[in-house]
Amino acid sequence: MKIKSNDQDKVITLISYIAIALFSAVCLIPFIMVVSASFSNDQQVALHGFSLLPKGITTYTFQYLFESKGAMLLKSYGITLFTVVVGTLFSLAVTVSYAYVASVKEMKYASALSFIAWFTMVFSGGLLPWYILTTKYYHLHNNLWALFVPYAMNVFNMFLMRNFFKGLPQELAESAKIDGAGHFRIFFSIMMPLAQVGIVTITLFYALSYWNDFFLSLMLITDRNLYPVQLLLYNMMSNISFLTSGGGASDAFAQGASQVIIPTMTARMALTCITIGPIILVYPFAQRFFVKGITIGAVKG
Amino acid sequence: MMNLQKGKWRKTLREHWPLYMLSLPGLAALLLFSYIPMAGLYIVFERYTYQGGLFGSEFVGLKNFEFFFSNMENALRATRNTIVVNIFSIILTTVVAVSLAVFMNEIRRKWFKKVTQSVMFFPHFISWVVVGTIAITFLDEKKGILNKLLVSVGMDPVLWYSNPWLWWPLLVFFGIWKAAGFNSIIYFASITGFDTSYYEAATVDGATKWQQIAKITIPLLMPTIVILFLLAVGGILAGDITQILGLTNLNPMLLETTDNISTFVYRTALQNGQFESASAVQLYQSIVGFVLVMFSNWIVKRYDKEYALF
Repeated sequence: MKIKSNDQDKVITLISYIAIALFSAVCLIPFIMVVSASFSNDQQVALHGFSLLPKGITTYTFQYLFESKGAMLLKSYGITLFTVVVGTLFSLAVTVSYAYVASVKEMKYASALSFIAWFTMVFSGGLLPWYILTTKYYHLHNNLWALFVPYAMNVFNMFLMRNFFKGLPQELAESAKIDGAGHFRIFFSIMMPLAQVGIVTITLFYALSYWNDFFLSLMLITDRNLYPVQLLLYNMMSNISFLTSGGGASDAFAQGASQVIIPTMTARMALTCITIGPIILVYPFAQRFFVKGITIGAVKG
Repeated sequence: MMNLQKGKWRKTLREHWPLYMLSLPGLAALLLFSYIPMAGLYIVFERYTYQGGLFGSEFVGLKNFEFFFSNMENALRATRNTIVVNIFSIILTTVVAVSLAVFMNEIRRKWFKKVTQSVMFFPHFISWVVVGTIAITFLDEKKGILNKLLVSVGMDPVLWYSNPWLWWPLLVFFGIWKAAGFNSIIYFASITGFDTSYYEAATVDGATKWQQIAKITIPLLMPTIVILFLLAVGGILAGDITQILGLTNLNPMLLETTDNISTFVYRTALQNGQFESASAVQLYQSIVGFVLVMFSNWIVKRYDKEYALF
């Protein structure tokens, strides 16, 4: 009996290892495919298709991208970096201060703030009125403001932050109040430093969502000079002509060297690598905060 | 009485004005990008023109609905696609995420746990455009690895990007691929929070691991599963526009199954300027969506008050 149950347990453990390993492989292999493709010879890919290992290892695709599209890529990277930095700081300021006020227990107004934010999660006017208002009335169209102002406050992040503030020891704020500290003082010098972990968590959430966003740019940007990296990648998917035309530099490149081969298949993959590269770099650092964040966010306050 | 109220208000304002100030930017953001758009649903009663704008175009009452009903094939198709893809995504993502959490709980080797968790979360952190290019390496009809495998075992290649009926399962698959690993954190966190004495007692009584999973872990996990499931059901009419754009690029051959309510509004109103049917669909997405959230929350509340959203 005992031996039998042990055997069964071993089987369960084995199945667990296999299942987890399989799912991880399914998550990982696509990325390997993309990296391999970006280091492959474009003609080989055209002939033999994509594969797990690069075919005819070469950095030609990257060289081509940097040389012919370098200026455009750099500009797009600049736009993306701008939205990540400025957008994150902006959203952070709006969200943290709103969340703090919504966490103050002594005020009736706090629960009203929570309700006002919560209601937007259950009822929404949808895409159409949002689009008309944003472009026609707020003039957030083809300018840098359009890339971050509409994301001023994410309600999920706000509640995460509010829950975090609620979990802090309130006695500290109270004793500071008795000592004559005002609301600003309590917020900036006591509560904010205490809430560091929460703030880092939503900073990362915001930074990543700005980095990955192509909704705002797709809706609100038509000027090529303002394309963030994600929109560049999206447009590259929709027309290969992006590679052959546009951007003055590329024409010069194409004319100057008529024997140049345009790596149509591998260029997409290389641009994808360039797009997710920075995420992979910050990922090891960011990951533990996300785990923390989602568990705080899931706990109702 | 009035005076007393007024005096009280003045006192709270004097005392708490910094707090009111701190909340102003957030209030402004919600007003501009959430509440005024709600009011903008008024568009459904207008013949919208750019000059007239959202609140000044000609009032036509229920005329847009007439147009909508005379031309509702595509709107109904969009609704069907949104619901089908969301229902299957919600059910299967939950099943996969819970299984992953249960399996993860059996893993003892720390390095293995760490590495696999990092890998499993990663798809959550990339955009749908990136997923779209990744998909090409698998699904491209000539160069994709799937068709190459099919051909190498002597089968016919599948036309992934021209057969719309493959895309319900594909959209669900990509949804699971992107979300299940990350969602499993919530379930794994609750499993690690369970009282270990249940398991100790079960081991003493000679229960197998399988029995422990079936009789302890899953029942204890059930409230979390049911609640997250119901809350997700509330969002069933919310179609993800970036998913469809990133994966299919609005490929016209695939619209039969991939056109959801959001992409429908995007295509008809924003790309083609046909506001009549788009505004009607927008209104029912908002209202039916609201009713669904309230309803699912009502059920959650009856099930367990603690977990209700409100």
